[in-house]
Amino acid sequence: MNTPHVCTRSVVLSRRTFLRGMGALVGLPLLESMSPVFSRASSPAVPGRMILISNNIGFIPKVFFPEASGTGYSMSTTLAELEPFRRDFTVFSGLSHPGVYGGHTTENCFLTAAKGPTKSGFRNQISLDQFAAETLGPRTRFPTLNLGVNIDKANRSLSFTQDGVLLPAEDSASALFRQMFVQGSPEMVQRQIRRLEERGSILDALLQDAKRLERSVSALDRSRLDQYFTSIREVEERLEAGRRWELTAKPEASLPEPKDIQDKKCFFEKFELMLSLARLAIESDSTRIVTLMADAFATPAFSLREDGNTTEGYHGLSHHGQSPEKLRQLENADRHHIVLLRRLLEALAERREEGERLLDRTLVLMGSNMGDANTHNNTNLPILLAGGRFRHGQHLVFPHDDNAPLSNLFVSMLQSIGIEASQFGSSTGPLRGLERA
Amino acid sequence: MRVTGMIPLCAVLFARFANGSAPATPLPEAVTTVLEESCMDCHDRKSHKGGLDLSALSKDIQDPSVRERWIRIHDRVDKGEMPPRSGEMSAADRQRLVTTLASAISNLDHREIAAAGRGPLRRLNRVEYERNLRDLLHLPYLEIRSMLPEDRESLRFCKTAGALDMSRVQLTAYLEAAAAALRKATVSTATPPPVTQYRAVGSRLFPGPGTFGTEKAMFFARANRAISRKEFEGRGKGEPYPLEQDADLELALFRSASWPYAGNPRGFLAKFEGEYRVRFSARAVVQLEGQRLEPALRSIAMTFRARKPTGVDVFGEVRATGGILDIQPERAVYETTVYLKEGESIEYSLLGLPMPLLTELKPNTAPVYRFPPFPEGGQPGAAFQFLEIEGPLPPAEWPPRSHRVLWDALAPGAVPGAPVEEARRLLCRFATLATGRSLGEEALAPFEALALARLEQGASFHDALLAAYQALLSSGHFLYVREPGPSAEPFAMASRLSHFLTNQRPDETLLQAARDGSLRAPGRLRAEARRLLEGPHFQAFVDDFTDSWLALRHLRRDEPDMRLYPEYRMDDYLVESMELETRAFFAALIRENLPASALVQADFVFANDRLASHYGLGGVSGSQVRKIPLPPGSPYGGLLTQASVLKVSANGTSTSPVVRGAWVMERLIGQPPPPPPPSVPAVEPDIRGAKTIRDLLALHTQSKECASCHSKFDPVGLALENFDVFGAWRSRYRGVSEGEKVCGIDRTGKDFAYTLASPVDPSGSLLDGTSFQNIHDLKRILAANPRQLGRNLIHQFTIYGTGTPVRFSERGHVEAILDACAKDGFRVRDLLLALIESPIFSSSLSTP
Repeated sequence: MNTPHVCTRSVVLSRRTFLRGMGALVGLPLLESMSPVFSRASSPAVPGRMILISNNIGFIPKVFFPEASGTGYSMSTTLAELEPFRRDFTVFSGLSHPGVYGGHTTENCFLTAAKGPTKSGFRNQISLDQFAAETLGPRTRFPTLNLGVNIDKANRSLSFTQDGVLLPAEDSASALFRQMFVQGSPEMVQRQIRRLEERGSILDALLQDAKRLERSVSALDRSRLDQYFTSIREVEERLEAGRRWELTAKPEASLPEPKDIQDKKCFFEKFELMLSLARLAIESDSTRIVTLMADAFATPAFSLREDGNTTEGYHGLSHHGQSPEKLRQLENADRHHIVLLRRLLEALAERREEGERLLDRTLVLMGSNMGDANTHNNTNLPILLAGGRFRHGQHLVFPHDDNAPLSNLFVSMLQSIGIEASQFGSSTGPLRGLERA
Repeated sequence: MRVTGMIPLCAVLFARFANGSAPATPLPEAVTTVLEESCMDCHDRKSHKGGLDLSALSKDIQDPSVRERWIRIHDRVDKGEMPPRSGEMSAADRQRLVTTLASAISNLDHREIAAAGRGPLRRLNRVEYERNLRDLLHLPYLEIRSMLPEDRESLRFCKTAGALDMSRVQLTAYLEAAAAALRKATVSTATPPPVTQYRAVGSRLFPGPGTFGTEKAMFFARANRAISRKEFEGRGKGEPYPLEQDADLELALFRSASWPYAGNPRGFLAKFEGEYRVRFSARAVVQLEGQRLEPALRSIAMTFRARKPTGVDVFGEVRATGGILDIQPERAVYETTVYLKEGESIEYSLLGLPMPLLTELKPNTAPVYRFPPFPEGGQPGAAFQFLEIEGPLPPAEWPPRSHRVLWDALAPGAVPGAPVEEARRLLCRFATLATGRSLGEEALAPFEALALARLEQGASFHDALLAAYQALLSSGHFLYVREPGPSAEPFAMASRLSHFLTNQRPDETLLQAARDGSLRAPGRLRAEARRLLEGPHFQAFVDDFTDSWLALRHLRRDEPDMRLYPEYRMDDYLVESMELETRAFFAALIRENLPASALVQADFVFANDRLASHYGLGGVSGSQVRKIPLPPGSPYGGLLTQASVLKVSANGTSTSPVVRGAWVMERLIGQPPPPPPPSVPAVEPDIRGAKTIRDLLALHTQSKECASCHSKFDPVGLALENFDVFGAWRSRYRGVSEGEKVCGIDRTGKDFAYTLASPVDPSGSLLDGTSFQNIHDLKRILAANPRQLGRNLIHQFTIYGTGTPVRFSERGHVEAILDACAKDGFRVRDLLLALIESPIFSSSLSTP
């Protein structure tokens, strides 16, 4: 077995000055000096943040969507709890992902908009959070955090890489807490650093090889090789950033380490706990982008304050077939989601950063891939956007039988946090009718 | 013959020349004089018509973007398009301008090629990289494509050297893909995984006694009648599943595989990844009312789909495997080989049948499944009697070849006695296998140092060597292909040829010819090209080339509008058949050496049962796409009117003559229209059915400004208006409100209603005044200029095959190829082989 130690004498590695003098923890990150390397987006003065939440069963459309459109609308039964935040959010109807159907199978496409998820040979594509993180660069310890509640980790996630590979969600609140706030042992840190170092030695070999190649090629070729050199250098820089984060002290948590709730029945308790950790992650600037999938599909009969336990699992309930008993339970569950959202908004509104409400610097998206789980419909999705720098306060309506792409909203969101993306997923532009404040 | 429709050189490609210290190359004085006299009225600072201000345009053609503009000017003057009125420039002046410009640009082009080569070093795209790793490691099912970012497309291809960039994202991805492939190649056990034998009869043939879509979608039958569901009842815990030994039962299936259907035989899961042999007995049947079976009159197509069985309503990754089989009416045993990953099973996948979906028949009622009404003669389907699966099929030797590529004779898990020497030897051996040539000690040094340093640090032999392998597979030796050129090693030529015609690295024969120099012998390159065209990897060229050239990779992009085209809803078999046709047609263009005019006109199609009925042809059965002669008067025949082309050039809801016309002119004819003016929005079709597209496009002919461009491509699109969004013939447009109502139930069980609105008018006239009444006329007109069709093919092949478009100074070579191929009618294989033997392909400088 390899003993964790650091080799500084190898001929191959000696060039890598950053490998020298390791071992002591650096007190503070040199964030400012690191960021220029990574900033590819026009860097906004204010950090843009996003919390992206999906429940994969969705909401009952009839009681979710307000009747009137525009600014003066009355809250629907489901949304009533959000009245105090009326001016801080927009509710949308008539949005969906074109070509994304197949009932529950669309759950992995909520933030990717990849078409045809049930088709043979389907491949997912990059999700909104990863796209934003790729563009913004690693400015925080975690480029993104991908969380889940009751989630079937192997098969479900909101977060997918550029290549459409599923990024598994973290569903343990305590593990997440430790990653964010508890310093690893020196051995763990060294082991991690050693892994980065090994990647570095491969890059060294590639660099030497490319330099040799450069001698024998034409001017045109050299221009292509320049890209190759740049790529090597940039990967190295990222390795170095990773190493610095390893050696950087983690922030202090404002709360003690939470205990995990194991019981899947306690869906809402788990949900609330994860939301509070998402908030901590944002407040401590451990990350600026959080996704959270509440896997209602994988949730058995669950506890609801009004009802005790529901009569059946979340999925069973969702196929209510208009049974009043099932509808009543689902409506309660829907409302409870909104209560949790209200609490999150309250916390973000209370917290100040540079004299501004954190809510005004954080986009909170809540929605679902299901328009109507009862019929497995994937159009007219329930979508809510709170916070950030938008002129909120309205019910923005698009045609029921000719939906606007949900990706248009994503483009508007990206642009509002300083990413000059003109296109994402199946977008046709920013979302019409949603103005920046 | 004038040169028309030159594909513009990609300015990006040569952008690097603009930098650096290259001296300015001004245009000769003669050019300026003619321009002053004839062009400045319209193209001065004040008027700058068409956005061209000649007084401000630089004369330094060293700058690639400037050169691009001058090539445009050259072409338009040469064609007589400019100046617009003939009296404005004398014939002598025109001649002087054109030749002076041409020679100035050509001279510069030559100097550049001499100094730096025809085009730059080209990175492999992700498809090539995957195919090369599959070939090197003998892992035909290796999947690493999806680990690599999608490659940029330039000039429609993902093979354009100037667009195949490298970034940190790509480099990291290549490193990881290489590591994944190497892991896959290495085995750790002394023997192959054990072979499982599975056999299902009776109720084990299907997961349960029914499936989604009512009892008409699937049932178990005995003596041609459905058995009662009661026979499945009374199953207690621990009791065996009922009827699972009943060999008299048949599984009768009448729906296609689509979410949420799960149709895998009970109790089989692949424990190991690999190939499995599937043997089953089946017959084609029809279902009559009352769940009765009768033998079908024709075969039914099926395939298998691999996926992990999941719970209700959930769906994981799924892919077709085992190829398409035609199940005949007489009971017979079929055999195929499927590829499964660990934990996967197979499910029956009948093609072209209903796919019932949950539908709310009335608002606010419980949603139900509804099986669509049976066609006349009964609902086609298949009945299965038994099914056997055996696998994973053991490889011919163990350790498998993939392992030997990396470790030679070293047994799995073994550590050699002299690790340093053995590491050196294996690395050198692997490098030769991977790159097809001996790299030499100096080139190997960085990789060797990497492996040895790892060993020194205490890494295992295995890990140390894998690090070096991984680096090698991400290095320039494996990842880039070089320009051949006169001074380059012959390996570059072999590599160019094989990546062109097989989309992968050279095979052993080709490598040998490169090594011993015989590839340079006269006729050998042509002979090798012919060998590859007849070889097993030709299909890879067909697939990859048509994916880009004809946009087949986007064939599934647009779903048919379910309001207007309910008959196409979820008809995956139709779409797949379209794809097969176009691939088969393109393969025939080359293998049968068809004339270039077949691009727009032919008296045959490639079709199977589904496509034949789509084209209104009777009497074709079976899923196999084959050549079928067309009856006189059929509007089909030729790429121009293939369903795939007509589908990718529409959007699923409506067709636009503008879009289709531009699509055809660019891709098939090779005369791409200039980009649209920035401020004009696209025409929005009126799907109510009130206005025809012709009404909406009236401005394109009325306004002189619009017409100057649109008259070049709108007319072609208009003649194609008789084909709907999936390429079926139509004489009237469809709408949602205006016109004659048509209603029914679609393939998913949903009610539909659309209207037949105004009639289609496919007539028009071309730029030169030639008018046409319909598609037949248009085909004749386009087929009458086979030279242009051939020229376009040469241009497309050049981009794909060399990674760099035809340069200005190479236009003469193109014309020379066309001259040589003219007397046989510009046959496609002739053109392709002539290109391969031309200086364009070998990147050599020789004046045409």
